[in-house]
Amino acid sequence: MMASELIKYRDVGVSFNGSCLFSDFNLIINKGDKILLKGRSGTGKSTLLKILLGIIRTDEGDVYFRDRNVCSKTVWDIRKEIAYVSQDTDIGEGIVKDLVNDIFHYHNNHGMKYHNKRNSLLEYFELDKSLLYKRFEDLSGGEKQRICLIISILLGKDIFVLDEVTSALDPELKDKVVDYFLKNEDWTLFIVSHDDVWEREGTSMIYVDSGDSCGR
Amino acid sequence: MLTAGILVADDITYAGLLFGFFLLAIPIAIMRITKLGMERESLTAIFRMTVQLFLAGLFLTVIFDMNNPVLTLSWFIMMISFAAFESIQRQGMSFRYLYLPVLASFLFGNLLILLYINFFVIDLSNVFDARYFIPIGGILLGNSLSGNIIGVSNFYSNLKRNQNRYISSLSFGAKMHEALLPYLRSGLRSALKPAVGDISTIGIVHLPGMMTGQLIAGSTPMLAIKYQVAVMVGVYASTVTCVTLSIILTTYVCFDEYGILKERMFRKDSVIG
Repeated sequence: MMASELIKYRDVGVSFNGSCLFSDFNLIINKGDKILLKGRSGTGKSTLLKILLGIIRTDEGDVYFRDRNVCSKTVWDIRKEIAYVSQDTDIGEGIVKDLVNDIFHYHNNHGMKYHNKRNSLLEYFELDKSLLYKRFEDLSGGEKQRICLIISILLGKDIFVLDEVTSALDPELKDKVVDYFLKNEDWTLFIVSHDDVWEREGTSMIYVDSGDSCGR
Repeated sequence: MLTAGILVADDITYAGLLFGFFLLAIPIAIMRITKLGMERESLTAIFRMTVQLFLAGLFLTVIFDMNNPVLTLSWFIMMISFAAFESIQRQGMSFRYLYLPVLASFLFGNLLILLYINFFVIDLSNVFDARYFIPIGGILLGNSLSGNIIGVSNFYSNLKRNQNRYISSLSFGAKMHEALLPYLRSGLRSALKPAVGDISTIGIVHLPGMMTGQLIAGSTPMLAIKYQVAVMVGVYASTVTCVTLSIILTTYVCFDEYGILKERMFRKDSVIG
């Protein structure tokens, strides 16, 4: 069976302030793939994710999403299809419940029913419901990470781009998060993580190392 | 002093003005004693103000005498151009990209409200009458300038500091304007807070410049307050309009087509960040 190609990186390179971060990066992600990017810190793994979302631009090569080049015209549609959780959990301030409600009042998310699922996800990720009435900025790192994950799941998408989303969780919770994301076979996952818990059957590991590719 | 039935303010002679400058001995003495090191700065500022005001006095004499709508309007537009320049200068942002949007906001926000006040409130037969147009326009402009400096720099410094929140909103499905709305709110709030504070203490804590001027020139207190109330409302409306427009119009040049804030919008010496 031909797998359907979803995301393609072709000879992608990025430089920061004139020095090469990585170059000649190639990767094809098919629908349903679970890809785990590994590599030392500072090799540009997060940058690779941000390129797909149009947050950072490539200096060389192209990235395709559903055969369409990631550019200023396509990026807004691509963002609608991908649930991206950045490693920076500072997503806003104010009461958690309002923060979540605001997101579901965006035109693109309008009319989504999320209350029931929100509550069951809170329970699954071991967060007390009273947390909804706390201020987001007062939460612990692990609580913030779980709230970000819950929001990304509630958006109802099936392509997830997750950047170090389990770093602040204890081992038991890390497992629960990985279980949750891996159990959905249809979901396409593109993950950056230093956590070994993601290295399970079904995930493909890709190593990123800037040293080799830039040394030409 | 009563001349020909109308009241005018007592003249200040140049000798009198000199006595005014003697007051500077107090701040200079305090600066010396406390080794504040601001003598040069202060005297330069005062010298600059004096020269600017004398020049303005000369120009205004001509403009008031001629009272020609084209000349009056040109003078006001020059004031607006300078305000737009000053606003961007103080925010530490790039002139090349931001001058036009900020200029457009000042023009629209101040000129229309000024004409409205002259036509509907003061009920002038000639809305371009220099005696009204220039001073009231100046008050609107001065206030919206300070509001603009606070509001726009709050908007961009907040965005720069919380880039991740903005990007998160985009990735959670917000359109650009939805993702920017919280920053617009915070910018407007910061610009309007001082204005609201000022407005609510007027009459108790201080008598504003315009009213003071009218009282000294011989207007009745009731007439002076009517002008003041109308002008304060106008100031508030023009500040809100200018800040909102400035923020909205500058976003068209400050963000790329990907919806990401462009770094080159901030000068190297920018205070924002």
